[in-house]
Parts: sequence; C-alpha cells; structure tokens
Amino acid sequence: MAQHEHDTGCEEYNTLSRRAFVGAAAGVAAAATLPAWLPKVVLAQSASSRDIIVSVFLRGGSDGLSMVYPFTDTNYYTGRPTVAIPRPDSNSATRGIALNGQFGISAAMSSLVPAYQAGNLLVVHGAGLVDNTRSHFDAQRFIEVGKARDANLVTGWLGRHLATSTPMRSNAPLRALGLSQGMPRTLVGAPKSLPIPNPAGFGLGGSTTTRTERSAWLRGDYEAVDTSIGAPALDALNTVTLLNNINFNGYVPSGGAVYPNTGFGRGMRSAAALIKADIGIEALQLDIGGWDTHSGQAPAVVNGNMARTMTDLAQSMAAFHADAMTGGVSYRVTLVVLSEFGRNVRENGSQGTDHGRGSCMFVMGPGIAGGRVMTNNWVPLARENLESGQDLRVTIDHRDILSEIVARRLGNPNLGVIFPSYVPTVRGVTL
Amino acid sequence: MGVTLEHDEVHGAEQGLATAEVSGEASISSRRTFFVTAAAAMVIGGAKDAQAQSVSRTGRRARRKLPEPVRGVSLALASAAAPPDAQLAVWRDPVGRLLRRANFGITRDELVRAKALGFSKYLEEQLRPSMIDDRDVAAFVATNYPTLRMTPEELYGADQGKVSNEIQEATIYRAAFSKRQLYERMVEFWSDHFNIDRDKVGYLKTTDDRDVIRKHALGKFPALLKASAHSAAMMRYLDQPDSRRGNINENYAREIMELHSVGVEGGYTQQDVNELARVLTGWTVSGRGIFTYDAQIHDFGPKSVLGKTIPATAVGKGLAGKGEADAIIDSLALHPKTAHYIAIKMTKFLLQYDPTDAMVAAVEAEFTKTKGDIPSMVRVILTEQNLMVAPVKYKRPFHWAVAAVRSLGPSVTSVSLIRGLVDNMGHSLFSWETPDGYPDKMEFWSGLVLARWNAANSISSQTGATFNFNVTPFVGTTAETGAALIVDQLFGGEVTESFRTRLADFLRPAPTNTARVREAVGLALSSSQFQWY
Repeated sequence: MAQHEHDTGCEEYNTLSRRAFVGAAAGVAAAATLPAWLPKVVLAQSASSRDIIVSVFLRGGSDGLSMVYPFTDTNYYTGRPTVAIPRPDSNSATRGIALNGQFGISAAMSSLVPAYQAGNLLVVHGAGLVDNTRSHFDAQRFIEVGKARDANLVTGWLGRHLATSTPMRSNAPLRALGLSQGMPRTLVGAPKSLPIPNPAGFGLGGSTTTRTERSAWLRGDYEAVDTSIGAPALDALNTVTLLNNINFNGYVPSGGAVYPNTGFGRGMRSAAALIKADIGIEALQLDIGGWDTHSGQAPAVVNGNMARTMTDLAQSMAAFHADAMTGGVSYRVTLVVLSEFGRNVRENGSQGTDHGRGSCMFVMGPGIAGGRVMTNNWVPLARENLESGQDLRVTIDHRDILSEIVARRLGNPNLGVIFPSYVPTVRGVTL
Repeated sequence: MGVTLEHDEVHGAEQGLATAEVSGEASISSRRTFFVTAAAAMVIGGAKDAQAQSVSRTGRRARRKLPEPVRGVSLALASAAAPPDAQLAVWRDPVGRLLRRANFGITRDELVRAKALGFSKYLEEQLRPSMIDDRDVAAFVATNYPTLRMTPEELYGADQGKVSNEIQEATIYRAAFSKRQLYERMVEFWSDHFNIDRDKVGYLKTTDDRDVIRKHALGKFPALLKASAHSAAMMRYLDQPDSRRGNINENYAREIMELHSVGVEGGYTQQDVNELARVLTGWTVSGRGIFTYDAQIHDFGPKSVLGKTIPATAVGKGLAGKGEADAIIDSLALHPKTAHYIAIKMTKFLLQYDPTDAMVAAVEAEFTKTKGDIPSMVRVILTEQNLMVAPVKYKRPFHWAVAAVRSLGPSVTSVSLIRGLVDNMGHSLFSWETPDGYPDKMEFWSGLVLARWNAANSISSQTGATFNFNVTPFVGTTAETGAALIVDQLFGGEVTESFRTRLADFLRPAPTNTARVREAVGLALSSSQFQWY
C-alpha cells in the first residue's frame, strides 16, 4: 500500500493525513474497482462518517471584494468610487452587514448571516490560484483539475476523490452528478457519475405507454454485450429508476427554506432533494455564471447586475443551509464555493472591474469551523501591497481549503492523487 | 495530388466540438446554457467513467505498450475496444466494412453503389472528393449558411449566435448529406487534430474551418500545418498574439510540436519550446482577425531550436525575421517523428484504437515517401486486409447522430434539431476547450448513453416540416419483414440473429403500426449494435 507520503513533506500535513487514515478499514477490495490509471492509493473511509460534498463554481471570476469587503480600509473606497459596498455603519440603504470588526458582507448576501452566526459558514479571503493566469479558460481548468499547467491532467479533483474512495453506499448506481449541461470538469474521472441538468427529467423520452417496454428492450440488449458498453448503459437505466422514485416536483424543503426560482436555486433544491432521498449520492457539482463584471457591476444597487447574482447565490445557499444542514439530519454535508479568480481592486472606466487574482471562497457545513473570515497576512489594499499594483494577492491556495475538506470531511487520505505535486498547508477549515 | 477544394462548394465546417456561444468573454456556464435551443426539452444523460477519461488522455500521450489487454474484471478500464468479437463476426462484407470506416454510417443505397463499383474503385472515388459531384449540398450550404463565406470583418459584424449555429449546422449537414463522405470524415479528424474552441476565438473558427481544415483535409500535411500556423483563429486560440520579444507566451510553440506535428514524444525539450516561442514572436493577429507578421515585436536575437542555430540578425521591418519560423515549421512538417505521430493518429481514427506497430509503420513509410500526402496514407490504412481484422470502434455522438440521419434518410431543410441533440450528447461542435480535441475513446463517451437513446427516439419520431422522417419504407407486413427492412437500412443487413429476433419481437404486437415502427427504429439506433462502426 503505497500511500503518497512523498508528496507531503509537511509535518502538520502528515498528521492530518494519518488521522484521516485511522479507522479507514480500507485498502482491501481496492484493486478490482480502482481505475487502472490511478497510482496505488489507499481507499478512503467507507464509513458513514464521511460528508457528502456539494461543490459550486462561480463561473466568470467573482469579485470577492464585493461579496465580503474590508470596510475599514479607505483604499477600498478610494479605488472604487462606484463599485464598493457602503460601510455597515453608514446610512446607505444598501450598506453591508459587519461580520467582524474588519469585514462586512454585502447586503445582497445578507441571507447568509444566520448560517455565519450559527458558526456553519466560513469565509476564506485572498484565496485562489497561485498561478497568475488571468484567463478564464486556464484558471477554471487549473482549479478544476487541481493543478496548474499540466496538460496531462484531465480528470477533476473531485472526480479523483471519488475514484479513490469506496462508495458510501455499495452498489449505488449513481455516486455523483453534475447538475449541469455536460459533465463538469471538476467531476471528470468519477466512477458512476452523470451530468444531469434536471434530475426531475432524467428518463427515457417518448411515449409513456411504451416506456417500460422500450426500457426493458434496451436492458436486454445491453445486458447481452460486453461490459465496456454494457455497464454504463445499465448504470444509466438503473439511475433512471432511481431518480424516477424521487418526487422532485413535490419536494418540500424543511426548515422553512425557500429556494429562489432561478436556475441555480432550482439546482440547489434538487441537490437537497437528492441528498435527502438517501440513494448513495456523495458528490454534486453546480455552476452559477454571471460574475464577469467588466462593466456596470453595481454590487450595491438594488437589482444591480452583480447584486442580483449575489442574491441568487446567497439565497440559494441559505435555503440549502436551512433545508439540508440544520435539524436532525442523518447525514452531513459540506458545501464549498469558489471562482477562478477575483477582480481588480480598483474599478475600471466602465464602472466594472477587470480580471484580478485573489477572491473569496465560502465553505459551509456543520463540520466547518465557521463564523469567521479567514485570511492570511491580510494587508491594506494600498497600491504597493497589491499584486502588479492592482490585485488582491492570493495568500491562501484554494487547494489548502479543498485538501482539508477532502482529508477531514470526506475521509480521503490520497491528497497526493487528488492534488498532485502539492503540499497543502492546514488552515483550520474543519472542526 | 490531394485535393484542394475550390472555394465555391464546400467550406465550412468540421466537426468536433463546439457549442455555440457568445463571443469572447462569456463564461462556460453561459455557453452551456445559452444555446441549448432545440435541446432544451431533451434530457441529458451520460456517465463518463473515471477510467474512461483518464485512459483517453493517457492513452494518447503515452502509447500503451501492453501486449494484450488483460481481459477480466478490470476490462472496462482498458482503453482498447473490448468489443464484440460477435459484432465483428457478422460484418463479413469488406465493402460494408470500408463504408463503415469511410462514411458516417452505412446506408443501403451507398452500399449498393459501392458494391457495384468494387472496393478499390469506391475508395479511389472517395479519395478524390473534388471529382465527386456534390453541387446539391454546396448549393444548400451556400443558401442556408451564408456566414461561412464571410471575411473576418463581415463575421465580426454578424449576429454571433447565427455565426455559431451556421458553422455547426453546416458541419452536420455536410457530414450527413455530402457524397464526399471520406473527405468529411477527414474534416472531422483534422478538426480535432487542430482543435480550436469557439468559446475562445468566436467567429474566427469559421475562417479556420474554411481556409485551413476543409481546404487541406485530403491534401498534403505540410500545407495543412502551414495553413494552420497562418490561421488567425489558431494564433488567438493558443495565445500567440500575446507573445512578444522579451515577454513570450509559449502556448502555440508548445502545441505545434506536441499536438500538431512531432507529438509529445517528439524529442523536444522545454528549452526548445522557449526558443521556438522566441522564433515565433511577431506571428500575430490584426484587425478583426487577419494573420499578420509584426517585425516590431520579433526577437532578432540568436536562437537555437531542435539543434538548429539561428544567428542574431539586425532588427528589421516588414517580413524580416518571419522566415525563421517558416523554416522551422517546414522542418517540423516533414520530421520523421511527425510521420510517426500522424500515422498513429490517422490509423487510430480511421481503423482501430490500438493499431499494430506494423500497420503504423506502413503508414509512416507512406508519409515519408509521399511527403505527407494524406490520401496516400488513407489508402494504406483502409486496405481490405486491415479492415477485415480491425476491431470495431465506438461512434462519438456527432458520428452517431450523422449516421442516424443518413440511415433514416429524412427530408431536411434544417438540422438545428441535430445540433441540439449533439449538444445534449456532450459533443457540441467546436467547443472542446483544450487543444487536444475531443477524445476518440469509447470509455469517454459510453456513459452518455441516455442522451443518445433520447436522441434516437427524437430523430425517429420527427414528422415536422423542417425535418421529416418518412417511416413508410421501414414498415413491413409482418414483424419479420419489418425487422429486415430496418436491418437492411441501418446495418447494411449485417446483425446478429438474436438482434434481428429481438427487433421483430418488439414489432410483433403491431408490425404495421407506424408509431410502433418508429419506436423500433429508435431502439435500433439506440442498440449496442448501432454504436459500433
């Protein structure tokens, strides 16, 4: 059992890794199910102590400084005459809400305050990719595959997590899904995973009268052929059965949760329904776009461009928190939200912001050490402190956050496979 | 010599990838959601197994040397076709095998025609596409997809949604209806080899498709490589305009070696990549998308690439310094490693996932002998001898959709339906992000099967004005005759007996009921047997 200790020089990390490994009755039964392309790994814990993970990607480069902002920093206000969130102690109707003495959350995201106060929501600021690309194309890819500039790496970090862990439910037809049109790269490489943009509609089309008959015909056809083509076909048929047993349209969220009627809101609602259906799904990936705010950003204007997007995000997250993370639930969920990069500290000539570097991440869940804004050597946003004189520096590698979630919440010690060639620093994300 | 198609007819598309989208900066998610159009109501399905993905990439990069894949539990992980010796056994007709590889799907009429011509004459005909009268398709394309003829300036001013849809639909239409089937297959191949993502370059893909891919798809490889190197779309896709003296971007320099010519095992070093990037400084794009050489940003210092020294020269103007890269590209085009790499890729695409060393060596030798003449290489690959032993391959979604259309022979005035279905199946044309092109690996695609089944059902039930599938020729008087009609039309008459029986069994309750027959056709398109070629 060659664990990837060599990837992990750091003492603190090794402790983390060992701890995660303890109790993993793992390792056995691995060979038959592990993809041939993976290096030898230690199977993650199969116990139900593992969290389900929901991963959300903010596509387009989200302006972290409009979501959670340093209201005591005058540089913030001088650099952003029209694109700043008013101080929490101001009289502005769109003022933010103080999370602590230094940072506030924008009014558009105020629905997240209860989760923050409950200690379930962690904000990580100045987070992002260490690689300094400002290309959406590259940055999204680097984050999703878990490593920058490695053309050979095509599977996603979450896909590799699933590929190196035993299913939480043996024989689950579906372990992961992307609630998206096409398989999100984050999940590529995951066994038993499907892109399902609308789980309520996942099924065989055509006449309902003949559906069962046609389904049986296809099952017979694919049962008779080689597993290379037969197995995924049968997985799909089984998933249809599985999802058809879930009444998505009649789903009633608990905790009084109300999801916004937006694409993302409906996706989060479906995610909760899938988790509660208890069918063995252990990872979900969602996307929300609209963050590429080069002009008319308006984060602090009622119904402003970015204000709307932030409201959608925050209300959906808050509903999910009330619905799937609180009360007497038999499972635990960790939600992580990130974007490919942040945006310039100073606004541009069109009341927007251009591609920058550090942004903020959100991590939410009952197993998260929340109620804090985590930073690493945060400095005033004066020009001399900025990367290239214009950007919030990346002071926390997003992989530090993800690694800790993977190791401690998802019980998978194979960080050397999931984030190749990276030695994470433990930041204290989890309880 | 090969074929350099004249400007009037064909032009336009290719295959491979993309979804539509917006122009420059739109996020991926917006691209995915914007143009779902016809697709909106459909369901997506699909699983890409872990195995699948990785093998697809590693398989390409590091050639698998396993003598014989171990058959057993881990079978689903093997990159090679695990398939169906049974499938192979029923495909006895060499002409049928040729058609399956050289066409997008076999059709009864084409099979009859090809058999009349004979194996060799049919292949030779297909290797000279400019001699094949294809004016109906050319006329349809000219009428329906006017943006294909536009200059970059015109394209810039056009409706971007229309530009995107037209390049995709023209690609589908040509693949489905052109008589130059082998040519269209090669367009598909080169579109992946010289992959460009419309999400990054927008309308410029239209010009690359026309002036690079389709112009040289059955021509000479060196001309194709050179055309690609002078493509504004490729320059932009691989960040070449960002590269300048003192501040290079190595993206294109790397990929022209790694992916376009000598291959990742081509023997170059990181130093070569850096140096080639310096050599390429000045190769850029101007205006709305015109390839331009700009001496002002060229690095005139001394350089050394692949063992070749380029002395420093005085800073010049005009085209001064451009010849440095021209010379390197010329030598890459005919490099022995390129012969090998292109031979492997073409053989894999046209013939089988894991060709033998001997097969590849023959193709490689032909490349060397003919200085990269593409039809000559195809001739060495698609021999009767090779075809009779080649394991089956799995149709990618685009291939599958086009084959379905060809099999059913619908009356069509728009293929927007098919574009939406191809999107649903995960193969949006010209949308593969990374420069390696859509994978051609069974494992990558085989999980997206539900979307494929629903697409089959959708196509076989079309009775609309723009896409009408006339089911009458498929209706028999009995279940058995009905099954035979479907088998003849969709499979060249060659299926397993159990398949034929099961199809008849499905028809039996109402063999003359057209709704039933449409469903049977949909199932036949969904069946495992229709996925192979």
